[in-house]
Amino acid sequence: MRLRRGQQPTRRLAHIWNEANCTACGACIISCTATNNPEMMYREEKGWKTVTSNIRRIDSATPQGRPTMLLVQCQHCDNAPCVSTCPFGAVYYDDNGQVQLDPRMCAGCKYCVTSCPYNVRWMHPDNGLPKKCMGDACLELVAANQKPACVQACPANARDFGDLNDPSSSVSQTLRTKRSRRLLPNSGAEPKYFIVEES
Amino acid sequence: MTPADLHFQADISHWTWTIAWFLWFVGIAGMGSVAYFFVRKAPVAYTILGALIIGLALVFSHLARWWNMPVVMWTMVVNGHFNFGSWMFIGIVVLSIHLVLGVLLAVSHMNFIFDRLKFLGFLRDILVALRESNLFVGLFAFVGFFGVIYSGFLLTQAVGIPLWGSPLIPVLWVLSGSVAAIAVLELMYVMGWVEERVSIFGMKLGLGLDAMKLLAVLAFLHVSVGLGSAGARLGAAEMISGSLAWMTWGGVVFIGILIPMVIAAWMLFAGKSKPLIVVSAVSALAGVLFLRAAVLLAGVWEPLVL
Repeated sequence: MRLRRGQQPTRRLAHIWNEANCTACGACIISCTATNNPEMMYREEKGWKTVTSNIRRIDSATPQGRPTMLLVQCQHCDNAPCVSTCPFGAVYYDDNGQVQLDPRMCAGCKYCVTSCPYNVRWMHPDNGLPKKCMGDACLELVAANQKPACVQACPANARDFGDLNDPSSSVSQTLRTKRSRRLLPNSGAEPKYFIVEES
Repeated sequence: MTPADLHFQADISHWTWTIAWFLWFVGIAGMGSVAYFFVRKAPVAYTILGALIIGLALVFSHLARWWNMPVVMWTMVVNGHFNFGSWMFIGIVVLSIHLVLGVLLAVSHMNFIFDRLKFLGFLRDILVALRESNLFVGLFAFVGFFGVIYSGFLLTQAVGIPLWGSPLIPVLWVLSGSVAAIAVLELMYVMGWVEERVSIFGMKLGLGLDAMKLLAVLAFLHVSVGLGSAGARLGAAEMISGSLAWMTWGGVVFIGILIPMVIAAWMLFAGKSKPLIVVSAVSALAGVLFLRAAVLLAGVWEPLVL
């Protein structure tokens, strides 16, 4: 359900990625595509030059040459720039605190794409929609009280998803007990994607 | 070291030449409307209307889901989802008003229509009264100016692209839009559509504006590369010494600023020359387009991994 101006979400659903546990197998990336955008399974995202998925993988190395890897996806920011810039109100918060897109109201101006500090939206080549996490199929999973596809597919328990407003949720407990960080914490967007640094 | 996560917005959101042309036409129409307040000639009104129509057609063609626009508009009105916090929404409103006022103004100059359709004489009287009203023409100038301002803030609000976050962009857009409007007036002088006094005033004003534009371009690059975040630095470096350097130094600075400045200075010293005016005006217009294209194409996201 779309939140009205000034309304607070009942839940604040957040994603966690544990970089210490992650084995970089790519199961989350491909399960995301297979679940939400199966038509894109064998099509490259031309901008990112990777497999088309709502999860983007960034490979790098430390100055010492040690390989590093980062997984990025929609941060479902509490103060999402894409919500404030969308001219037609197509991008909105739902009552779970998630950033959603109403396709009926999207004209494909791509303002949400350039407004996102995390570069997580990609343009669907068939319908012109700016896609991102979470896809329709994952939303259905969450509505059925299941975890999103990436969390279910992860063989290393590196992913989790849950309500930050619920102190007993697994994400709240993890964030209480383990060191974590957020990307671009000074962006002002108040992201809800947490990178846990210890296993 | 090249960041592991360097992505140009042109590859993903595709705000490239189509948007550059759109911003160029909005600049001409907007600052042209300010010029109309002083010049009040039919060709100026027609040019403003033409620029607005072409600019809007370009931006409409750039929409990935342009065919969904009627549904979007209907849903927006029915549900009352007006996002007044979005510069793009503000721009849609401003450009729509500008277009309506531009049509009224242009039609008021079209005597050939009213000469044939005598029964529309009452409409002609109304439109001529509007055209001769300083309030109406002043409103038209204000809306045009606000349209140019909007086209600058359109970029600054796209916070994903740090290079565009510079407060100098709206200033640059106004300065370069003014240069473009003056260049259009100079071309009209060559065609015999405006008086020589307009051309002389435009040349002097243009010389000053070119100097200010040069300062603003250099300040934009300097501030972005020196004080900006990594994304802004990388974008500015692309403009200064990267793949867009030819456009910055060759297109924006040499063609768009130095050539018109040298020609204007020469003509103030040695007298007017219509061929030189054409060269100067075309150079200035090209420079304004190159400026918009360079800023758009240099836009990169903040790298998450350096």
